[in-house]
Amino acid sequence: MLLVARKNLFSEWTRLVISVGGVALSVFLISLLLSLYRGWDEKVGGFVEHSNVDLWLGSEGAEDFLTAASLLPTEGKEAEQAKEYLNAYPSIDQWSPMIVRLMQGVRVDRISATEEKIGSKIDIHFIGFDPNTRLGGPIEVIEGRDTPGPGEVIIDEKLGDRHGIGIGDTLRAGGRDWTVVGKSRGGDFIATQTVFVSHAEAQAALRMQGATTFYVIKVRQGVDPAQLGAALEDQAARNEAPIVTHTREEFAKSTRDRVTSNVLPILFVVLGLAFIVGVSVAGLTIYTATIEKAREYGILKAVGFRNTYLYRVVFEQSAVTALLGFAVGIGLTVGIGPFASDYVPQFVLFTRWQDVLLVAGVTVVMALIAAYIPVRRLGAIDPVSVFKG
Amino acid sequence: MSTVLRMTQVTKTYGGGDAAVHALDDVDFNIEAGEVVVVMGPSGAGKTTFLTIAGALLTPTSGTVEISGVNITALSEKELPDVRRERIGFVFQSFNLLEALSAIENVTLVMTEGSPKSRGAVNRASELMNMLGLGHRLKSLPRNLSGGEKQRVAIARALANNPDLILADEPTANLDSKRGREVMQLLRQIAFEMHKAVVIVSHDHRTREIASRIAWLEDGTFRPDVATDRDPVCQRVVEVQGSPAFSYESRSYYFCSTQCLELFKADPAQQLAGKRQ
Repeated sequence: MLLVARKNLFSEWTRLVISVGGVALSVFLISLLLSLYRGWDEKVGGFVEHSNVDLWLGSEGAEDFLTAASLLPTEGKEAEQAKEYLNAYPSIDQWSPMIVRLMQGVRVDRISATEEKIGSKIDIHFIGFDPNTRLGGPIEVIEGRDTPGPGEVIIDEKLGDRHGIGIGDTLRAGGRDWTVVGKSRGGDFIATQTVFVSHAEAQAALRMQGATTFYVIKVRQGVDPAQLGAALEDQAARNEAPIVTHTREEFAKSTRDRVTSNVLPILFVVLGLAFIVGVSVAGLTIYTATIEKAREYGILKAVGFRNTYLYRVVFEQSAVTALLGFAVGIGLTVGIGPFASDYVPQFVLFTRWQDVLLVAGVTVVMALIAAYIPVRRLGAIDPVSVFKG
Repeated sequence: MSTVLRMTQVTKTYGGGDAAVHALDDVDFNIEAGEVVVVMGPSGAGKTTFLTIAGALLTPTSGTVEISGVNITALSEKELPDVRRERIGFVFQSFNLLEALSAIENVTLVMTEGSPKSRGAVNRASELMNMLGLGHRLKSLPRNLSGGEKQRVAIARALANNPDLILADEPTANLDSKRGREVMQLLRQIAFEMHKAVVIVSHDHRTREIASRIAWLEDGTFRPDVATDRDPVCQRVVEVQGSPAFSYESRSYYFCSTQCLELFKADPAQQLAGKRQ
């Protein structure tokens, strides 16, 4: 680093702290928002992506897991035809019905035989799965039993953490009281968490006898789920019972898009504002420092330093400011990431190294823009001015 | 003796047409190694223009300027910074040190072009500063130095690249008489002992004491045989002819302005006593 750049930068600590702080704040905001976006993206699509379901079959218009806007028969002529077809299809390894319903539940504490304490309302994704195939069931059971019996549920660990519900506690949902017998991982949708019961129990509780939300399918090894899905859609169309199918990847993506497409425009605006804050603070401090030292830059010109040397001085100051700001900003994001959701459950941060590189690139752009105006000013300094008193 | 600075028929004109101002008008000027030339003249005479053209900071409208045999008027704008850094040393009125750099860093800077300092540069800077009596101030920041010390650091910086030509712009203007005299003696020593050509632009009459010769610049031209005297109020050197004058105790005094004249007339004895102090 050039002597003048280093000395100018580190001889005024207040100015350095302000400019580094400005860049750090900007980098922190940008990386935090990106990490938040990634965290949400990971969580919202995670359940579908990590489930054992290769192909999701729903009624027409069912495009994602969150809204679960699907209703299919499990009884009757049409259902029997479908079951026969699914059983006979050689590419299908396993299939089963699955119920998904977005609803509210509450924790119930029984104080006595007649008295109970009702907790606050909890948004849940109530899932009925087939315990035999386990398709669409808990991704990983981390505590308690892995199969719920009658009147029993397995809850997502985040639901338990957030609302203080443990094994043996009672959760009221769908008009029934359920005893928690297990905890699972991987079913956190940020705003909601999964609660698993058997499919039969879900049908009964939700009065969905003869109906289900999805048919979930596991294909045999080497089978392309997309091709199978297309074949199933053709078959259903021929029987005038239109359905839609989604591969795991498609369904995960559309589930993510349901949430993030609404968040993205806001995110971009805030990212833009954070970038402007960073450029403004760094740019202003470097510009004022340059103006204050205009005479010294004039001296350097007078004694034989070229403009390119002066530009380098300013760029180095800007680059080091940006580098320090970047280190502080990214450090804060990475530092608070693991603990943020402990205090604010919705604050799920997931920092990817690719995003760190992206923010580094943004910081470089910030440094270049912050240095551009001062550099233009330097070019205009007349070295003759240093002869004037 | 070799000619270090040679200016031939140098003219500098600002503006054009009826509004044209000839800051320098067909000026010839030479200085040789080992000489000290003091350039004097009234305000607006063209002294700064002369110095900046001699210092390769300003290009003349016409004429040629040679430094150590190199015609700098034939060089491109991009080549001039190298001429300034390698062939010319500048000493400014207000010292013009970089405030964030220590005394020795101000000197090494011009030798290393601001890159990480080399041992050779540090040794030379230390040597120069020791020679100028600043051996104990190497690491001091300019704000902790006296005016005289600052000017000596500036002189060390001017000598750092061992140039043939030293250009000093009012080097004693911001110094008290003792420090000013020290600086002048240093400049004289540099010219005589280090064999440099030293051009000093000054209003300070004391600089005449060290001058090999004095050049009087007025209205953009050097005027030979100009009678000068010292303004007893502000101590500036003024041309006798045309300056406000006043006789006191059988002696004529000359002033740079009517303000100085009026001050003198109000209490001549006190003004002369102040001068003697």
